[in-house]
Amino acid sequence: MELSESVQRGLQSLADPSSFDQSSFQVLVDVSFRSLLSSKGDPAVLDQPELKQIDQILLKQCHTAATTFILEAVKQNADKSTISSCLEELTFSAERIEIFYSTHQKHKKELECLLASIGRRPAQINDVSWRLQYHMKNAQVDKVNEPFYSISLKSENEGSSEDINFTCTMEQLQDLVGKLKDAAKSVEKASQM
Amino acid sequence: MIGLLSGCRLFRMLLVLSEDHKEHLAFLPKVEPAVVREFGRIALEFIRRGASPKIYEGAARKLGVPVEMVQHGVEGLMFLMTESSKHMISEVDFLDSVLVLGFGEELNQILLQLYLQHHSQIRSILSQLPSNLPAYHSLEWRLDVQLASRSVREQVIPMLTMHLLLTKGSDSISRVLQTDPRTLLHLISTLEAALASMKTSHARRILRNIK
Repeated sequence: MELSESVQRGLQSLADPSSFDQSSFQVLVDVSFRSLLSSKGDPAVLDQPELKQIDQILLKQCHTAATTFILEAVKQNADKSTISSCLEELTFSAERIEIFYSTHQKHKKELECLLASIGRRPAQINDVSWRLQYHMKNAQVDKVNEPFYSISLKSENEGSSEDINFTCTMEQLQDLVGKLKDAAKSVEKASQM
Repeated sequence: MIGLLSGCRLFRMLLVLSEDHKEHLAFLPKVEPAVVREFGRIALEFIRRGASPKIYEGAARKLGVPVEMVQHGVEGLMFLMTESSKHMISEVDFLDSVLVLGFGEELNQILLQLYLQHHSQIRSILSQLPSNLPAYHSLEWRLDVQLASRSVREQVIPMLTMHLLLTKGSDSISRVLQTDPRTLLHLISTLEAALASMKTSHARRILRNIK
């Protein structure tokens, strides 16, 4: 994993027992993971009793380095040996590596989900609603007398939701459902490969 | 429009022609039947493609009459045809409606033939008009597996990308959408329930009785 100089320096300070004793190390590791997972930025995240004696500027540097390292590891899906050798090079003791790695394993899935949700993509459909109606007449034509469906696809794009509305006849709805079923069949086939 | 409902079977639909309308059509008995047929052809062309003033000028010159007279005659024919087609009036009702114009038998028959030959075409043109609701046209789909993104490098995420085409009047709307396999199954079961709702006894009763 490639890490910038400031991240390496911050991690080295974190590894140093004279800057961070055992309990403050554990606390900083926990706090770093927690601050990534919480939905709102908490300015008081570093206000832990165990961290009070540490120089506040150093504390912030180490916190930044730790969170950057965590995100990089999750992004690259780094395995135990990669993380271990990386931290070893940065003078982490075997014990501290173990503490870091087990906390990483605890939160990895959640962090992965968070990272995966970042980024642009087409609107995601999450639901559909429908109405069956009978078209009797309109301003231009009398005696239409045809049933039709009003379909509303509920979709979401980067937090904002959008409804895509359209009408269709029964034949068209059968066509649509048929195509969706073909798609589902191909998903099933692909999952068996 | 007057529709007289007597009993549940007999339904007469007579067109009520306004005075202006009658005045416009009053031009027709004054010209040869061949000219009326030509005006009918022009009226239908205009219903199909829109009016073109040059044609009025040409015809007015040939007949030696003012342009307005030709225009009114053609427009009157257009309106007669569209209103009759809109309400799908029967042959008998059509003849009774034009009786009030006091035309001769030959002219009435020409108008009737014009109506009978073209009313379904006119109806389908009219029914394309009120499309301010987007309507389904087609759906294309493909199955992709996302392997990486800017924020995560090793992924295996199956996703269904769909291209939905809708028509709205003469425009088309195109949307690219995605969904995951589970939501896809949910969409399928919901829409199958929608299709099934057409077959219930309630729906069948309504469809049978409103004609």
